[in-house]
Amino acid sequence: MSVININKKTKSTQSLGVGTYTFLIVAVILSVFPLFWMVIAATNKSVDVISGTLIPGSNLATNYKNLIGSTNLWQAMWNSFKYAGIMTVLSLLVCSIAGYGFEIYHDKHKDRLFSFLLLAMMIPFAAVMIPLYQMVSEYGLLNSTAGFVLPTISTPFLIMLFRQNSRSFPHEIIDAARIDGLSEIGIFIRIYIPTQKAVFAAAVTVVFMNGWNNYLWPKIIMQSNDSISMPMLIAGLQSGYVTDYGVLMLSVLFCILPMLIIFFAMQRYFTQGITGSIK
Amino acid sequence: MYSLRSWRNNKLSHKKQKQMQIKSKLTVENKLSITGWFFILPATLLIFAMSFYPMFKALYMSFRTGIGVNMEWAGLYNFTRMLKDKIFMQSVRNNFFYLIIQVPIMLVLAITLASILNNPKLKYKGLFRILLFLPCATPLVAYSVIFRSLFAIDGYFNTILLNFGILSKAYNFLGHPTSAKIVIIIALIWRWTGYNIVFYLAGLQNIDPSIYEAVKLEGASKFQTFFSITAPLLKPMILLTSIMSINGTLQLFDESVNLTAGGPANASITMSHYIYNLSFKYVPNFGYAAALSYVILLLVAFLALIQMKVVDVRD
Amino acid sequence: MKKILFTLACITIAASSLLMASGQKEATVDTSKSDELVVWLWDMGFNGATMQKAAEIYKEDHPEFNLVIEDQGDWNTLQTKLTTIASSGKLDSLPDILLIQDNAFQKNYMSFPEVFTDLSNTNIDYTQFASGKTGYSVIDGKNYGVPFDNGAVIFGYRTDILAKAGYTIDDFTDITWSQWLKQARVVLEKTGKPLLSAQAGSSDIINMMLQSAGASLFNTDGSPNIVNNDVLYKVAETYMQMLDDGTCIEATDWSGYTNSFSSGAVAGTMTGCWIAATIQGATDQAGKWKITNMPSLDGIPTATNYSNNGGSSWAVTSACKNVDLAADFFAMTFGSSMELYDAVAQNGVLGTYLPSANSSVYSQPNEFFSGQPIMSIITEFAGKVPAIEGGAYYYDARDAVCTAITQIQSGAVAKEAFQDAQDTVNFMMGN
Repeated sequence: MSVININKKTKSTQSLGVGTYTFLIVAVILSVFPLFWMVIAATNKSVDVISGTLIPGSNLATNYKNLIGSTNLWQAMWNSFKYAGIMTVLSLLVCSIAGYGFEIYHDKHKDRLFSFLLLAMMIPFAAVMIPLYQMVSEYGLLNSTAGFVLPTISTPFLIMLFRQNSRSFPHEIIDAARIDGLSEIGIFIRIYIPTQKAVFAAAVTVVFMNGWNNYLWPKIIMQSNDSISMPMLIAGLQSGYVTDYGVLMLSVLFCILPMLIIFFAMQRYFTQGITGSIK
Repeated sequence: MYSLRSWRNNKLSHKKQKQMQIKSKLTVENKLSITGWFFILPATLLIFAMSFYPMFKALYMSFRTGIGVNMEWAGLYNFTRMLKDKIFMQSVRNNFFYLIIQVPIMLVLAITLASILNNPKLKYKGLFRILLFLPCATPLVAYSVIFRSLFAIDGYFNTILLNFGILSKAYNFLGHPTSAKIVIIIALIWRWTGYNIVFYLAGLQNIDPSIYEAVKLEGASKFQTFFSITAPLLKPMILLTSIMSINGTLQLFDESVNLTAGGPANASITMSHYIYNLSFKYVPNFGYAAALSYVILLLVAFLALIQMKVVDVRD
Repeated sequence: MKKILFTLACITIAASSLLMASGQKEATVDTSKSDELVVWLWDMGFNGATMQKAAEIYKEDHPEFNLVIEDQGDWNTLQTKLTTIASSGKLDSLPDILLIQDNAFQKNYMSFPEVFTDLSNTNIDYTQFASGKTGYSVIDGKNYGVPFDNGAVIFGYRTDILAKAGYTIDDFTDITWSQWLKQARVVLEKTGKPLLSAQAGSSDIINMMLQSAGASLFNTDGSPNIVNNDVLYKVAETYMQMLDDGTCIEATDWSGYTNSFSSGAVAGTMTGCWIAATIQGATDQAGKWKITNMPSLDGIPTATNYSNNGGSSWAVTSACKNVDLAADFFAMTFGSSMELYDAVAQNGVLGTYLPSANSSVYSQPNEFFSGQPIMSIITEFAGKVPAIEGGAYYYDARDAVCTAITQIQSGAVAKEAFQDAQDTVNFMMGN
C-alpha cells in the first residue's frame, strides 16, 4: 500500500511534455482557424469578407438586421431544434436498449441479425430516397415532424455504438444485480445508464448534430415555408443573385451555436467512468 | 408415521419438483435470451420498415432500366453496363483513393488526441475538447463555403504561399486533379477527426485508471502503455469507428458536390455523387442508379465483414 | 418479463402519439379549393415577384382568386423534389404550377410524361410569344408550358475601364471573337482587369458560343454531335485562348462568379440578360456599365452575335384540379398583360411576350446602364437568337463537353477528348 502511495506522489509531479502540448495546440489552431475566419466574417460587410480580412468589423448589427429581414431565422432555429431534439430522445431510447440487448444477451442468432442490420447503413441515401418518400407519402406523413424523424430514429450506427460500449460493461455487476433481485430492464435503467453517461453524452452530441445538420431528406419532405430548417436557410442565402457573405456567415454562426451549447452541457459526462460506481 | 407436517412437506417438495421441471425448460439463459429479443425489437422493426423495405424496392429497381417512370425489366443489364462506364470507374478509383489515405490518418489522429485529452493532468481540458469538436459541428453548407474560399485562386492559402515566396503564381487547388482530391482529404480530416475523438473519449472512460498506475509501476513508456494496454481495450470502439469511416468514405457525397463539384473533369467525383447525378441531374435512369448503389453496398459490406470477423472477438 | 413488455409498450405508445400529434399539425396546403392555386418556384426577388404581380392583376377581375407561392430555394432543389415525387407516383403532392428551366423541360417530360398538362387548346395565345422560346416546352406539337423569362445573351462592360484602355462600347459591338481577344488583351495590359469570368467546369460560355452559330451538341435525329462538330472545335479554341491570355478567369462556384464583377475584379460579363439584376446589385458601379451583343465566331458561315442562356417556363401539373382556372390565369396575365411585363421590368424581368417590344416602359433609359434602354435592346436581341436542337440530354452533354474542355486545358488532344465526350453521351443515352 505504501509503495503505491509513494509512486502516486511522484506521478503527480510529472506533467505532460512540451511536445504533447505543442501537438495539441497545433491541432486546435488548425481546427479552429476556418471557424475563426467565419466568426470574423459575420461581423463584416460582404465586400470586406471577400477581400479576406481577419479583423472583426462593426457590421454585426446590420448583418443581423438583414438576416432577420430576409429569412425566417428564429422559425428555422426552432424547427431545427425541434427535429433534432425529438430525434435525439427517440433515437437514444430505441437504440441504446437495442445495442445493450445485442451485446448482453448475445447469441448466434442475435449476432447474425446485427450483422444483417448493418447493411441498412451501407446504401447511399439517394437510392432509397424515392421508395422512402413513397412510403412516407402513403402514410400521410409528408411535411411533418414524424415523416422527417421516423426514418432516422433507428440507425445501425447508434445501435453499434451502444453494443460496442456494452462490451466493456463488466458482467460481474450484472450478475451481482441479478442476485440482488433486479429485473433485466431494471439493470439497464438503474445500473447501465447511470454508469455509461460518457457514451450517452457522446450519443446525444452526435445524434443531435446529425439531426440538426440533416439537409437532403428534410429538403425533400418539407413542403411549406414554415417548416424550414437551419441548413435549408443557409442554402437559401447562397442561391440568391448576390450573396452577402457577412449575413451568410452570421447565419452559420447561429447554426453552430446550439451544437456548442449541447457539447458544453455534455462535457462533464465525458470523464465519468465506470470505476467510480464499482467502488 | 405420516403426520400433517410430513404430508405438507411432501406436497411442497412435489411442487418444487414441478417448478424445477419448468425451470429446466426455461433455463435462466433462455429467459435472458428472450428478454434480449424484447430489448432489440423496436429498433429492429424500425430498421426493417424504414430501411430494408425501401432497400428492397431499390434492389428490385436495379434489375430494371429505362428513362424516368418508363422502366422495364432488364435482368443483369445494369451490372454489365457499369463495367463500361468510364465515369463510374473513375469515381470508384477516387473513393478508394480517399479511403486508403484519409481514414488511417484520421483515426490515428483521433485516437492520439483522445488519449491526450483523457489525461487527468491536462490543463484546460474542456476548452481543448470543445475546440477540437467544433469542426464537426459546422453545417456542411457552411464548411464548404469556407474551404472553397480558403483554397480559391485568390484565397487565403494562395495569399500566404505567395507572400512567403513559396509560389510565384497562384495555384488553382481546385482546378487540378490531384490537388482537388487532396483538398477533399484535408477537408474530411478536418471535419471528422473531432467526431471520432468523441467516441474514443467515451470508450476510454471504461478503462480503469488503476491499470495505468500498475503499468507505470513497471516502468512502461507512454508508447508501450498505449499499444499494449489502451489500444486493445479500445478495440470495440476502434472497430466501430473503422467501419463507420469506411462506410462514410465510400458513400462520400457532400464534399464531392459542394467542395469540388466532382471536378475538375470528374477527377474528384465520388460514387454517390455520380449516382445522384444519374437520378436528379441527367436524364434519370433510376434502375442503373440503384444498381450502382448496390455496388457501393457490396463494397462496404465486404470490407466491414472482414473487419468484424477479424477484430470483433469477444474475450 | 411482464414489466419489460409493459415498459416497452408505454414507450412505443408515447413515442408514436408524440409523432402523430406533431404530424397532424402541419398538413400540406389544401388545393382542393377551386379558386386557389399553389406554385413552386425559386428566387422570390425575380420569379416570385413576377408571380405575385400576376396574381394581383388577375385578382382585379377575380377577387376570390388566391395564389400560394412556395419558394424552393433554387432550381436544383425543385428538380430533386420534382423527380422524387414524380417517380414515387404520388403525383398529388405536386403543386398546381411549377417553374421549370427550359433546358430541363424536355428531360422532365420524357421522364415523367404524366406530370404535365397539355395546354394547347386553352385560351393561352401562343402566337404572342417568341417561337424560339416557346419551342422548349413544345413536345410532339403540343404546348406543355407557358414561356416566361428571356435568356437572351448580353455582354455587359464597364465603360470606365474600357475608356482607360482607349475603347468605347462600339468597339465591342458586332465584332468577332478574334477582335475581342485582341482588344481584351489591350484592356488587360492597360488596366489589369480581365473582361470576362466563368464558372470553372460548368461554363455556359461554351454553349452560348455554340448557339450563336446555330450549332447544337445534338443532331436533328437526337444523336450527339460532338467529335465531328467543327463549331465546337472553334469554340474550344477561342475559350482556351482567352483563359490563356488571362482575359477570362475562372471562378470556383456561382458566388465566386457573381462576386468577380460585383467586386470590380472583372470588367465585364457575358450571359443571359437576367444577370442584369445581379449587376445592378453593385450599386457603387451605377452609371459605369453598358450592354451590347456578344462577339461572333470567326470563320463560321452561320455565326451571329446573338445567343441564349437559360430562361424558364411555367408548367401546369396533373395535380392541378382546376386546369381551366390555371390556364385562364396564365392567359390573362403572362399571355396578354402588358401591365404585368411593364411592372416587373424594373426587377430586370424580361418576358418573351412579343408585344412588349413596343412598350413604352421597355424603351425607358436605365440609369445604371448609362441611360441605355436595355429592355428594348434585349428584346431586339431575343428576336435574333438562332433556334437550336436542345434535346433532353442537355445536362449530360454539357457536363461531358465541359469535362473534355478541362482535359484539353490540361494538355489532352482535342479530338480524343471530344471523342471521349461523345462516347460518354452515347453511354448516357443507352447506346
